[in-house]
Amino acid sequence: MKLIRVNMSEKTIRVEDVPQDYVGLGGRGLTSIMINAEVPPKCDPLGPENKLIFAPGFLSGTPLPNTSRISVGAKSPLTGGIKESNAGGTVAAALGRLGITAVIVEGQAPAGELYFLRIDEKGNASLIPAQEYKGMRTYQFVGKILESYGKRTSVLCIGPAGEARLAAASIQSSDADGHPFRAAGRGGLGAVMGAKGLKALIVDQRGRSPDPLADPDTFKEAAKAVTKIVKADHMNAEVMPKLGTAGLVAPVNSMGAFPSFNARKGVLDGWEKICGETMAELIQKRGGNPTHRGCDQCIIHCSNVFVDKEGKYVTSSLEYETIWAMGGMTGIADLDTIARLDNLCDDIGVDTMSTGVAIAVAMDAGYRQFGDAEAAIEMVEEIGQGTEFGRILGSGPAAVGRHFNHPRVPVVKGQSIAAYDPRAMLGHGVTFATSPMGADHTAGNVVGAYLQGMLDPLNPQGQMETSRFLQIAMAAFDTMGQCFMASVALLSPEGFEAFGKVIGAKLGTQLGPGDFPEGMGIRVLKAEREFNRKAGFTKQDDRLPRFFYEEPLPPHNTVFVISDGELDSTFDF
Amino acid sequence: MKMRVKLYGTLSERFPGYQHAQGMEIEIPDGATAKELLALLGISESQGAVVIAEGRVLKADDQMRCGVPVSVLQSIGGG
Repeated sequence: MKLIRVNMSEKTIRVEDVPQDYVGLGGRGLTSIMINAEVPPKCDPLGPENKLIFAPGFLSGTPLPNTSRISVGAKSPLTGGIKESNAGGTVAAALGRLGITAVIVEGQAPAGELYFLRIDEKGNASLIPAQEYKGMRTYQFVGKILESYGKRTSVLCIGPAGEARLAAASIQSSDADGHPFRAAGRGGLGAVMGAKGLKALIVDQRGRSPDPLADPDTFKEAAKAVTKIVKADHMNAEVMPKLGTAGLVAPVNSMGAFPSFNARKGVLDGWEKICGETMAELIQKRGGNPTHRGCDQCIIHCSNVFVDKEGKYVTSSLEYETIWAMGGMTGIADLDTIARLDNLCDDIGVDTMSTGVAIAVAMDAGYRQFGDAEAAIEMVEEIGQGTEFGRILGSGPAAVGRHFNHPRVPVVKGQSIAAYDPRAMLGHGVTFATSPMGADHTAGNVVGAYLQGMLDPLNPQGQMETSRFLQIAMAAFDTMGQCFMASVALLSPEGFEAFGKVIGAKLGTQLGPGDFPEGMGIRVLKAEREFNRKAGFTKQDDRLPRFFYEEPLPPHNTVFVISDGELDSTFDF
Repeated sequence: MKMRVKLYGTLSERFPGYQHAQGMEIEIPDGATAKELLALLGISESQGAVVIAEGRVLKADDQMRCGVPVSVLQSIGGG
């Protein structure tokens, strides 16, 4: 249990014990509560007062499967509010095995200086000059780092977009094969890292000093129970390994809620060409891998390796949100183009969701035609080249909207919506509007409730309550480092009870009723909302863009109808 | 009545030769419900199957309508 504080202004590294207040926290809970306590809410996100915090989940590095999620937190340059963006890969488990609770990056290196932070197998951290890697794209960078430090090295890094401090810049995370395709994409935290002068965090995977489990036998039993629930879930047992998250393309289009052509339609013409079923078949036929393990300790294998016609690696992993943003929003129903765009974004280090939506806004404004694959690739290349337009595009959809003076910009708090149109899935609108993160696909994803028939997506009844429940639960799971897929399988009283026992066995205390997820999730959300309030956010920031209230979405031809009052009651606690 | 059905997720695996582009045509009793359709297709509850017609998720007792194609999918909790 230690915190590593790195001051980029002074080039100092300090190791501290974890204060009592933070015991039992990790991941999102830790980053958000620390930011609320330590970062001046009105500070410049790209200035020295902001802090960039890397925190593995509380359970990362333990034997519990599916817990290699790293949370990255800071004040966001994209939203102007608090941000936690989490990613899979190997780094969270690597930090957990070293007993490192968080790495906190403070201050700012002088302009032009660039470093990476290396943590060796004993847990010792050092800052190493990285001038030679300046401007380097992520695949090449990770290749060089693995050459220097060996394959058992985890890398979190930025590409040219992060170095250029663009507001949609991502932090890329290396997977089990050493490819930097996992991303803490949302909120522009790559820009914060670039502004600090930090190219990468590099962690040796061979650590053997994890925090001890207070009650290892109980932990083992409780972990078994959790694993059993996760494995029994058809989504994790069947759909994810075969189709990955791309399995959502069919249901969401079938429900008329797949925002297409910059959210002008709810069904993409030709969506079957880019659905998970088609993707899996194509990958199989070409000799790629539709069932890939992207993260450490994963038992679900939702990742894939997409290859071209010659069987050559293009990208990994092609995910639902990327397929939507790069395919649905732009009207490009072509998997090869989408895969190429995904690879480019990972390599340049920008969020695929924000970038796809930014391209769609530019197309909607008449800059290029919807469906123009070549234009989309050229636009993303411009981000890497650092052209004037590339800098605008890499700053996200709101920046593109301002540039073209175009009002149809599907963002909340400056961050793009995800692949569920709030006019045809009202609960998603509640989450998009009210999440302290800005519009978000994991903070309170309601699609499961619709597909299970628990809720009618077009009926306002129950949407706010469902979003609230899910936002609380996910804030708690994000604190534990548990992946989204496994968490979704645990959204039941039995799942919460089993998971609570795992937490208790690590801590050495028994969790009380209401501690997980309610107590934990509410504590995290309260800290996040408090930070946003102090940063200047008001109720008016918890609203969707006007066009969602005014423009009916085909095929249901409905608009967003949840009242402002109901939105404001989401966090009535 | 005859009905066109498209299968998604892993549900087509039990039907050798199933082609996504065409889906398949099956014969169901008039007035059959979503639940009966799933039983007819041999899809068990544990597979999380969902029947969607005209953009709406059908309830177990909702009846199939003549000439309206359906999609049978598996529920997913997000991604």
